[in-house]
Amino acid sequence: MAATLIQPLCLGKGDMNDSRKSSDSEPTTHFGFQDVPESQKAQKVAEVFHSVAAKYDLMNDLLSGGMHRLWKRFTIELSGVRSGNRVLDIAGGTGDLTKQFARLVGPSGEVVLADINESMLKVGRDRLLDRGVAGNVKFVQADAEKLPFPDNHFDCVTIAFGLRNVTHKEDALRSMLRVLKPGGRLLVLEFSKPSSSLLSKVYDSYSFTFMPLIGKLITNDADSYRYLAESIRMHPDQDTLKAMMVEAGFERVTYHNMTGGIVALHRGIKP
Amino acid sequence: MLSAALLAGVELGLNRVLAMDSTALPRLARLHGRIIAVDCQAPAVQLFILPDGEGLRLAAQWSGAVDCRLRAPASSLLRLLASQDKSAVLHGPEVELDGDSAALLELAGILQDLELDWEYELSLWLGPVGSQLLGGHLRSRVSWTGQALGSLRLNLADYLSEEARSLVGQREADARFAELDRLKLALDRLDARIERLTHRHKPTA
Repeated sequence: MAATLIQPLCLGKGDMNDSRKSSDSEPTTHFGFQDVPESQKAQKVAEVFHSVAAKYDLMNDLLSGGMHRLWKRFTIELSGVRSGNRVLDIAGGTGDLTKQFARLVGPSGEVVLADINESMLKVGRDRLLDRGVAGNVKFVQADAEKLPFPDNHFDCVTIAFGLRNVTHKEDALRSMLRVLKPGGRLLVLEFSKPSSSLLSKVYDSYSFTFMPLIGKLITNDADSYRYLAESIRMHPDQDTLKAMMVEAGFERVTYHNMTGGIVALHRGIKP
Repeated sequence: MLSAALLAGVELGLNRVLAMDSTALPRLARLHGRIIAVDCQAPAVQLFILPDGEGLRLAAQWSGAVDCRLRAPASSLLRLLASQDKSAVLHGPEVELDGDSAALLELAGILQDLELDWEYELSLWLGPVGSQLLGGHLRSRVSWTGQALGSLRLNLADYLSEEARSLVGQREADARFAELDRLKLALDRLDARIERLTHRHKPTA
């Protein structure tokens, strides 16, 4: 049943540009397995995250079995962030990475938690303040495609589980390149394509049956978690995302598969 | 991922222990920003330690620059942890140290000086009365054991020196050592005097 829901990934140039022409003149993009006008995607994604924001952390722990903490831990290790650095955490959500970065950069550094979604940003801000993370953290509601920061400003930019929700991924990658200092690092942590076909089948069954069910039981919202599973399948695989980062202008782009390729961490350096 | 999970568990436990010493975290805060790499050669394991005011962060890999790198086999690393004289271990032939060793010595010193408030931690589980009773009992047992061991040591020394006459007593040994020191000093002086006389009466060419 679940397998019939999965649409093949289009790996061509058209998909990398992430916009297709519909019968009328407005370009469309994917929202899960649906095609929606580009102007509506951000609104639809926002609705999903408004719905899940309150129980986002609990659901992350439940659905990943706590693995998301290890994936983020690995991201921190590869960031090479030091005391006094300036870090931008895009789609920072409830602030897991921001909390760790704030600890690493210390009082002389700065971490900016940016999220396009007001609800997620509010939950993240409250959560960090409750845990005493303040002073070197700023909260900014911003669109990843049009980052409101000066050129060559950050030592490190991260986007964890956020890029697949962005309408124009190329624009977002170019925007991240612009705000990075030369030599600065971009880290993209995102769901990807499992390397084994057996794992892929198990993962599909899990994603399309278990995840919406848990979503229904805990947040009374199966649709948002169905969208999560669908958006993961529509996201570019490891090599496609690597090519997109190279095309955006990053150098020494590498990726590391985690948990059998269910999640991949891409890293690129600004020349 | 397995090593990351293991390190996360160790880090959590270690930081809970560090939080039980009121002076450890402020001292660690002074090391914020320092990155210490430990390369264990046998078995081959690499560990990065990042101290800060919240405790220690342990990482299996770190892509940034490192302030201090210690390479040693596991046996030397264990000796370094346990030893009072850490400089002696660090100067051993099998130990390699690059970079700022002060950060490493400071970190080792903090770990060695830990004085953990176990009674406070116990009180969180047993309550104030239970922890007081248990703590008092344990303290009296520790004190009794210490006194018993001290008494045993004195009695044994008395027996060996006074009754069995196998060893000389401490004062007698001190007197003999002092005599030897005086003798050594007198010999040195005599040696210097002979050297001086020989030099004075040496025929000039």
